[in-house]
Amino acid sequence: MAPTKGSSKGSSKGPSVGGAKGAKSSGLGSAATRVSKSSKKDGPKRPPPKEVKSKPRTVQENLKKKKKRVYTEKELDLPVLNQITPVGVVKPKGKKKGKTFVDDQEGMLTILAMVNAEKEGQIESKIMKARQLEEIHEAKRNEAEARMKERKNKLEGVKDSLRKKKKGGNKESESTSIKETMKPSRGKKKTVAFA
Amino acid sequence: MRSLTEEETRTLFTKLAVYTGRSLNTLITPAEDGTLSVFRLQGSRVYYVKKDLANLSVSFPRDVLLSMGTMVGKFTKTGKFRLNLTALDLLAQHARYKVWIKSNGVMPLLYGGSVLKAHVARWSAEDAPVNSGVIILDESDNPLGFGVTARGISEMRRLEPTSVVVHRQADTGEYLREEDTLFTT
Repeated sequence: MAPTKGSSKGSSKGPSVGGAKGAKSSGLGSAATRVSKSSKKDGPKRPPPKEVKSKPRTVQENLKKKKKRVYTEKELDLPVLNQITPVGVVKPKGKKKGKTFVDDQEGMLTILAMVNAEKEGQIESKIMKARQLEEIHEAKRNEAEARMKERKNKLEGVKDSLRKKKKGGNKESESTSIKETMKPSRGKKKTVAFA
Repeated sequence: MRSLTEEETRTLFTKLAVYTGRSLNTLITPAEDGTLSVFRLQGSRVYYVKKDLANLSVSFPRDVLLSMGTMVGKFTKTGKFRLNLTALDLLAQHARYKVWIKSNGVMPLLYGGSVLKAHVARWSAEDAPVNSGVIILDESDNPLGFGVTARGISEMRRLEPTSVVVHRQADTGEYLREEDTLFTT
């Protein structure tokens, strides 16, 4: 088992393992390689070894191979929805090319009837919407008015109560207090001084 | 001069239906005397012409033919349709909504102004939604122009007298004001 290992792995393991044979053989081997290297350099010139590269995909040979395997659409069996059919490309057969004129009266009348129906529907819905909005606005306005009235009534109630309080509670002291308050003001005469 | 395509007819009728009611049918059905009028396209402009006249127009090359019949309006480059003042006569006969204005509102309108609430004498309908087409007439029933309502009619009652009720689209004053450009192609 061991020699097979040594022989297979080469000279690196040989000396460490320790056989004299192994050491010799390794030495010889190294010499042989050196000689052979020098002989290669000095010997007759050969063309440098060419690297065998895998050819790129763009090479004609590869392309040719691929071209051979082109599937037709039927072979692929694609679902119909998966395909793109541009609007302008596929034209229905047997139809008139170019513009289609409306010259007959019936055609015009049908178009007019459609347009009229559409328009009337629009107008009706607009009027309905406007009426609903109007109702809502009216209700809001009434509510606001009622609120204003209520507030006014409240305010007036408070005012009345205050007046009553003043009249009822201060009847006795009113005359004296007024006199008191008026006296000092009367005593002071307004004077104007010119500098 | 050619007849309109389906798409063009639909666009034209949708625009006309803004101003006219169901009586628009009478425009494309033969009259009592048997004459039939049709819509024809010349360049981008649409004309309302008697059919036998329209058939005669084939004898003129397109670039030479300037105008024929009543011009209704023109198709813009984006495919919309613009009504022209010259369609006023057609519209006035089949109007859905009408407004009669007092004499104090006539001159402001003919100078290109809008119709104010103070100018309005009466409305043909009790209620009309906002942005609906309306024909403007003076007190002696002469059509003066057309426009669109700025508010719903029921809403207008609460407005101030100086507020705009009809935005002007076209008025007969344009015959003078736009004299140079009205019929240029």
